[in-house]
Amino acid sequence: MSKLLSSANSKVLFLGNEAIARGALEAGVSVAAAYPGTPSSEVIESLASVAHKRNLYVEWSVNEKVALEVAAAASFAGLRSIAVMKQNGVNVASDFLLHLTASGTRGGLVLVSCEDPGALSSVNEGESRYFARMLEMPLLEPADFQEAKDLTKWAFELSEAIGNVVMLRSVTRMSHASGNVVCGKLPTKSRRAAFRYDGPIMDSKAGPMISTPVVAKHLLHQDKLQDALALFEKSPFNRYFGPARPELLIVTASACSLYAREAVEMLGVQKKVGILKLATTWPLPPKLLAKHLKIAKKILIVEEVLPFLEESVKVLVAGFSADIRKKHFSGKLDGTLAQAGELNPDIVADAIGRILKVKLEKLPASYTAEARKAAALVPVREQTFCAGCPHRASFWNIHHAIALDGREGFVCGDIGCYSMAALSPATGYSTMPTLHSMGSGTGLASGFAKLAPFGMDKPILTVCGDSTFYHAVIPALINAQHNRADITFLVLDNAGTAMTGFQPHPGLTVSAVKETVPAVDIEAICKAIGAEVEVSDPFDLDRTGKILMRFLSEKGRLKVLILRQACALSPEKKGKKRFEVKVDETLCVGEACGCNRLCTRIFRCPGLTWDRTKKKAVIDEVICAGCGVCASICPQHAIVKTEVTASKS
Amino acid sequence: MAKRLSAQAKLKKQVLEQSLCTGCGACVGLCPYQVIHADRTVQLFSCDLTDGKCYVFCPRTSVDLTRIRQILFDAKNITPEIGPVKRFYLARATDPGLRQQAQHGGTVTALLQLAMEEGLISAAIVSGQNEEGEPEGRVIDKSSELIRYAKSRFTVSPTVAAFHRLPDGFGGKLGVVATPCQATAFSKIRTAEIEGYTKGRSLGLVIGLFCGWTLSPDKFKNLVEQYGLTYEKITEMDIPPWRSVLSLKTAGSDVEIPLSEVDACVRTACRYCVDSTAELADLSVGAARYGGECCEMAGWNQVIVRSETGAKLMDLAREKGVLEILEAPAEALEALKAAAVQKKKKGLTAITTKTGSAKKLLYLSSDDPLVKAYLKR
Repeated sequence: MSKLLSSANSKVLFLGNEAIARGALEAGVSVAAAYPGTPSSEVIESLASVAHKRNLYVEWSVNEKVALEVAAAASFAGLRSIAVMKQNGVNVASDFLLHLTASGTRGGLVLVSCEDPGALSSVNEGESRYFARMLEMPLLEPADFQEAKDLTKWAFELSEAIGNVVMLRSVTRMSHASGNVVCGKLPTKSRRAAFRYDGPIMDSKAGPMISTPVVAKHLLHQDKLQDALALFEKSPFNRYFGPARPELLIVTASACSLYAREAVEMLGVQKKVGILKLATTWPLPPKLLAKHLKIAKKILIVEEVLPFLEESVKVLVAGFSADIRKKHFSGKLDGTLAQAGELNPDIVADAIGRILKVKLEKLPASYTAEARKAAALVPVREQTFCAGCPHRASFWNIHHAIALDGREGFVCGDIGCYSMAALSPATGYSTMPTLHSMGSGTGLASGFAKLAPFGMDKPILTVCGDSTFYHAVIPALINAQHNRADITFLVLDNAGTAMTGFQPHPGLTVSAVKETVPAVDIEAICKAIGAEVEVSDPFDLDRTGKILMRFLSEKGRLKVLILRQACALSPEKKGKKRFEVKVDETLCVGEACGCNRLCTRIFRCPGLTWDRTKKKAVIDEVICAGCGVCASICPQHAIVKTEVTASKS
Repeated sequence: MAKRLSAQAKLKKQVLEQSLCTGCGACVGLCPYQVIHADRTVQLFSCDLTDGKCYVFCPRTSVDLTRIRQILFDAKNITPEIGPVKRFYLARATDPGLRQQAQHGGTVTALLQLAMEEGLISAAIVSGQNEEGEPEGRVIDKSSELIRYAKSRFTVSPTVAAFHRLPDGFGGKLGVVATPCQATAFSKIRTAEIEGYTKGRSLGLVIGLFCGWTLSPDKFKNLVEQYGLTYEKITEMDIPPWRSVLSLKTAGSDVEIPLSEVDACVRTACRYCVDSTAELADLSVGAARYGGECCEMAGWNQVIVRSETGAKLMDLAREKGVLEILEAPAEALEALKAAAVQKKKKGLTAITTKTGSAKKLLYLSSDDPLVKAYLKR
């Protein structure tokens, strides 16, 4: 049995995202929808794994906006539902979200945003907390694994109490760390879906779900927030730890409260510092804040990235009595903490130390010296594509086509594993100078292609992955075709949402819960848009190169090249080598004129290593995925591939 | 100490960026870093070797002419105007069928066929075209196939690259047909002293072609289009004796384009060339055109025999009867020298204008007495 379905009162080690999933199950969630994105993906994966047993509808949606819409429909029909995304997914969903908060919801609807301070697996450290304030939506932030479960469950109740969507925010260190959770009861009854819309327009339970009349509905929306506030004032999730009259009060939330507790212990200042750990971070409960702010003269607000909590606190403080106003505040706004990047206990301890003028006991010099010695032993590992990654071959092809064309063409990048081509330029053979949000590569390319009359006559290329194609590329592609943008658009189709862990997408015939579903054909969509479409295997360097050269030379229209080759780590490929690859040392010329280590210096597949003693290239059999592409690039034909026979594989 | 530039970087700075690249292919085919595409030498990736062969073999990096002449030729045969001249003939293929299909007298094709049939060479590299219609060097090992490559297209093929691409263990000797720049590259390859490099020894025969200039294909394609022709459909190109036109033949029609217009399509690199007779080949062949009776010699070639190898091949051709050979009249040699001197002076003027100094002669050395002789004072 899945540990997600553990019995009540059992203590289970859950990943933060599993705890959120368990909370949703305990709340009786019926519908869950999401677009994969690190660090959020495991919530849906967990729910999908128990979908049949718990009678859930779980889907990977085409993008975050659609995921929220799918979840909202369930809510309108009285069911509890959840939509899950990473921080920038909230931006994608935000247009619908604005209208959703205005129309209100019925069955409990929770929007989970798993954020990535420090951008550990993102190309941004976007803040979705501001959406809570901007769109007037309650915001909850769990501070440990038990809370991740409990607060999720309560979020559904809150949503139903105020008739609106509630946002639950996690961060990488919460979603991707694990902790013990005591389980609650799983409900035995499930709800029936029914959507009423025959009531009066202002009746949020029986009328049409619509944001108009705007002002009247807006006022109603704001009234309900007052109900949320009343619940927040009494919420047991907001807690204070520490002495009755501390010298310093730390106001914090989320994983930061763990850093704060650890920092206080590291410094040994438990008697001087109190911690107000908030779970309900918007709107802030004013009475609770006033009560705790009173007890100390110095206040430190500990949060990651932007000063959202600090601003909210200070806005409240401005309305408090003079004695509370006369505090010394530290946080992001005075520079005590940086407004970018992750926090950790050391950073927080350093901030507390500066305020209290206590020094953290330094590590002994011998330890530092040993650590430095050990660090030198760690091999340098650059960010790069995996061994056998089709993207390496794709960018090899792209690089050659651009170089041969000679007009200094470039690739507008997009979000996926292929983003590596921009993050680590040598990996993409220095072809990809732009990288923004999902789908924006095609939009940018569409724009660059119109700059010829202004003197920029270069071939413009753009890439996107198969999942990204469905997510946000199609409108940009239509724009390019309609506005005659001369671009070469490449779909790097590796048959799955590889970067986030092989979640299926609309191009595949399998759903989140492993049911057979119709695939939506990328090639047919591109053809229907009116583009010239070619399909090739990126491992076939000859054919792919020829198509690219033709596309770059043909002006004035949209050209699409779909490069199909499954990810080397995909479940169907992993561990199965198509080719046995060997280096014939008698042919390898190594560093000499004639090669100068093309395979290990330029091509740089991790499956190829350089034997410094022999001065020859070597295949690392453990890492080599057996794609055989290096055999095509070796100028001396020293890399030899032999097809692995069926019986052997 | 300043970091030494890589061979590839020097090639880029001193040759490619200076419009000196002749497109001969001497820097291509040695490694995966450089290729010729659409008549451009493209550096695909950077190579950090400081002593790459690409730089050494390029005919537009410094050429030690004195040393090369010493190794390949007899000092007493060297003329300032057209390099070594052992003998000078008028010649044409005995076979009228071959003459019909060749550019002028069919001498080059006849000599290559002979060399191959007699086992002096086992294959020849000639200029052909790839699937995309781009010129490329072709390795031919059947003498019967040589005739298909007998026509001139006034462009440079990266023939030297085809030589580089042959495997090291290539059996036997190779014959090549080379423009002056290619012959210079091959002479560098033949005389190179590079540790572990022995491939130069497989060059058994270098037949040079007289060359006034070559065309930049892109520019020339545009020009012929203005005359209603398609470049790819041109079957024959020639400059008729003493007329300032380039005559073009296609299946449908013949067109003549004034040389003044063609001049705009000449490859920039050719303007810095001082060699019109492939001075560093074993023997050099061109159209016979001299004096008032030139028209009578139409369909004949002039042949400069330069090396011992060249001399032996001509003797063999006479013995086997594959060539009709006449002793050339003195006026023919004088006319050829006069034309060659003109090109030398023009080339040197272009070089000194570019560098702004008579001491800086790009790939040539201002100390070379044969270069000095034609420097404008």
